[in-house]
Amino acid sequence: IVKAQAPIRWRFQTYAGAALGEQVTKPIIDYINAAAQGELEIELFYADQIVPTGELFQALQRGTIDGVHSDDDSMASPTPLRVFGGYFPFATKHILDVPVLFNQYGLADIWREEYAKVGVQWLSAAGQDPCNFNTTKEITSVDDLDGLRLYTFPTAGRFLAKFGVVSVNIPYEDAEVAVQTGELDGMAWSGITEDYTVGWADVTDYFLTNNISGAWIGSFFVNQERWAELPDHLKQLVMASIEAGHTYRNQWYWGGEARLRAQGDKLALRSVPADEWAVVEDAAKEFWNEIAEESETHAKIVQIFRDYNEVINQAGPPYNFE
Amino acid sequence: MPYEMIAALMFSTMMLMLLTGQRVFGAIGFVAVMAALLLWGDRGGYDLGFSAAMKLMKWYPLLTLPMFIFMGYVLSESRIADDLYRMFHVWMGGLRGGLAVGTIGLMVLVSAMNGLSVAGMAIGATIALPELLKRGYDKRMVTGVIQAGSSLGILVPPSVVLVLYAMIARQPVGQLWLAGVVPGLMMAALFILYIVVRCRLQPELGPVLPAEDRDVGRAEKLRLLRAGLLPLGIFAAMMVPFVNGWTSLVESSAIGAITAFLVAVAKGRMTRDVFETSVRNTLGITCMFMWIILAALAFGAVFDGLGAVKAIEALFTERLGLNPWVILILMQLSFILMGTFLDDTAMLVIVAPLYVPLVGQLGFDLVWYGILYTITCQIAYMTPPFGYNLFLMRAMAPPEITLRDIYGSITPFVLVMVCALVLVMVFPGLALWLPGVVYGN
Amino acid sequence: MTGALRGFVRVVDGVNYRIGRVVMYGIFVIMAILLWSSVSKTFFVPSLWTLEMAQFAMVAYYMLGGPYSIQMGSNVRMDLLYGNWSDRRKAQVDALTVLFLITYLGILLWGGIDSTIYSFQYGGERSPTAWRPYLWPIKCIMVFAIALMLLQALSELAKDILRLKGEPV
Ligand code: NA
Ligand code: NA
Repeated sequence: IVKAQAPIRWRFQTYAGAALGEQVTKPIIDYINAAAQGELEIELFYADQIVPTGELFQALQRGTIDGVHSDDDSMASPTPLRVFGGYFPFATKHILDVPVLFNQYGLADIWREEYAKVGVQWLSAAGQDPCNFNTTKEITSVDDLDGLRLYTFPTAGRFLAKFGVVSVNIPYEDAEVAVQTGELDGMAWSGITEDYTVGWADVTDYFLTNNISGAWIGSFFVNQERWAELPDHLKQLVMASIEAGHTYRNQWYWGGEARLRAQGDKLALRSVPADEWAVVEDAAKEFWNEIAEESETHAKIVQIFRDYNEVINQAGPPYNFE
Repeated sequence: MPYEMIAALMFSTMMLMLLTGQRVFGAIGFVAVMAALLLWGDRGGYDLGFSAAMKLMKWYPLLTLPMFIFMGYVLSESRIADDLYRMFHVWMGGLRGGLAVGTIGLMVLVSAMNGLSVAGMAIGATIALPELLKRGYDKRMVTGVIQAGSSLGILVPPSVVLVLYAMIARQPVGQLWLAGVVPGLMMAALFILYIVVRCRLQPELGPVLPAEDRDVGRAEKLRLLRAGLLPLGIFAAMMVPFVNGWTSLVESSAIGAITAFLVAVAKGRMTRDVFETSVRNTLGITCMFMWIILAALAFGAVFDGLGAVKAIEALFTERLGLNPWVILILMQLSFILMGTFLDDTAMLVIVAPLYVPLVGQLGFDLVWYGILYTITCQIAYMTPPFGYNLFLMRAMAPPEITLRDIYGSITPFVLVMVCALVLVMVFPGLALWLPGVVYGN
Repeated sequence: MTGALRGFVRVVDGVNYRIGRVVMYGIFVIMAILLWSSVSKTFFVPSLWTLEMAQFAMVAYYMLGGPYSIQMGSNVRMDLLYGNWSDRRKAQVDALTVLFLITYLGILLWGGIDSTIYSFQYGGERSPTAWRPYLWPIKCIMVFAIALMLLQALSELAKDILRLKGEPV
């Protein structure tokens, strides 16, 4: 009788709190645990459970945490890719733009390379929901943004500062309470599906249909040594499970955004007219130029975004909105 | 070793180490970092202690902690509560046990001005206690009154304990504070009821104040009543901007601290000594809390990493298959038991994260549970061998009050508190009605 | 030996006392930041940096103040048994149990140094907020404070040894 080998155990932490993690991360971990038949056991932890999100990346590099699901921005990635994670303003229109950019336009290679330099194995990126606003105060014009205190991503916050938004960064799970303690006027963090799932729809009143980016960019990472130790068939299994998770998430968000805008009863929809919102889009072009000047890698990635946006703008709807 | 075993081992090691009388934060921190190092040493287990410090930095509501502590010290050290006490003295003195009743009233007002029980204890022990003893009140009665009354500080808003609970349970602080109002007043009423009944049965415990002490003239009586407006003013300066959304919670706490400070200055009570004591003790108490929370956060992270939360949930719900209410009652009993010998801050940061998700899963309201938790903390403050109020009382009480008196004095009041706990359990509306009215849900 | 211990205690306690006496006024710094936060929010544009700055101030306040709080005896102990012991017995047990505290602080320092070195790498670690302050200043303060705390714990040990030798402390 061959004695079963001791399972490989990973500690995996996601940027998401428990309610959202249930949809965006847990399905993948469940697939892996079920299919690995005890050879690989991954324990999932939610936002800030073992290490605070701001320290997540160092913890991954050191091996305190073995795997991570997060965007490059909020996990304080030490690479030039940091600004492009989360919501890079107006880089994408739809959830599917993200895998296309990574797999057809070369972002995957850049990501893999940059993370290898800092001792981390980048596995896969995917899109999620757009970056809309849910707030306690009504937004009907760009001027209404002035003075709002919003929970948002660092890069998005830096961009929105141009319109007087004060971004506040606190632990993910504290955001809901922070609206009630008056620390926040709302969030520029997600689409409407997340607002309802996380509970933010219970503490804010309005949802702005205009967004500052069409899809969140986030990735799966593993500590380099842990990845190297993994037998090939388990590597395949992990990758396939992540892909399956992407598919599930694509549907969950795409369906949720439509249904909750149309039928949700907790948030009143508001919109800024498209021609007025164009001011924000134009500011993003400026912002891209600023970012491109920061380094060669920055410039290269911004150029890829430019190229891709040119393609979809030529293609017209449904790829863009005009 | 199975993870449940490691978790149990960690917990019992910590308990044993606490028995040696070492500093609480050292015991908790040592067990936490050693466990992390032994479990995950080769994979960066050494950094959990420090990453807890980074986590703690981001817990913004803790900024209220030094503010409320400072506020409490300013109030007690500057003796601006003296007038308040005189007010109750004159107005309630005619009743049997009236001074004790008045002391509870004083404690309620002091509670509305600060977030901990320390200020109440200090004010009670320095102003009320000598006065009550001089008037021939039973020493056990008054010792108990002051300990029990001051514990209202964490139930009547503002409350630091509820801020900490809000952080852990992810519940809105505003609603939790409001939820504490009715149970807090109810508990004060129960204390008063107990005092009045007891003194009716045994008049020697709380003699009526001689008439010449009470007859100060109508004008003076009204002037003293106005002294009661002072805490209301401080309370309003802090709460009105907060409830209206003009300032955030932490900003409001700073406004409260500054207001109390300015009031003391305006009344000419902010002497060099008062200033020095307030500033120095604020640092001391804040450090005590923060270092315990820092250690307990690391402990909690290791516990989490072991999956202890899931293990406890599985034990209660699946393996034992108990009725939710039975589980809830068991949890409260275990809290009270742990509260006798564990620091309540550590209890909150280590044990509450295990219990709170379970309470939520069982379908109970977490705001309501926050009030149950706080009442349990109040009990823990007073039950020997480990209780802040016990320590403070021992430090502040005059020599004729022995340790035996202090321990003996709490029994009836703890029973009253258990009564209040049961009432809030049976009638959740006591806690949930007011936040429901204000926040409209 | 006794002289060396005395010297160590005098220097460490002296330094920590002075730092603590300065840091205790930090309460007013935190207050001022929060007050500015409410004022700027009510009358002007809310500030980007206030909450985070207040958090930094708070960390510096309680960490740098830690050693002074040990000197003041602010840290609670469970005194079920401890309270009844003689001073000599207390010193004996403390001299042993303070080693746990020293271990804890040592590991805390180890993690802190590692994290601080990290904050200098990759072009400098920045806080993941729109204000994006560099994190090395606060991490350096934290490491410095933990080191002082460790020295204070050693000083407590030295004092217990002196007590056990029958020297006045
Ligand atoms: Na209070
Ligand atoms: Na106790």
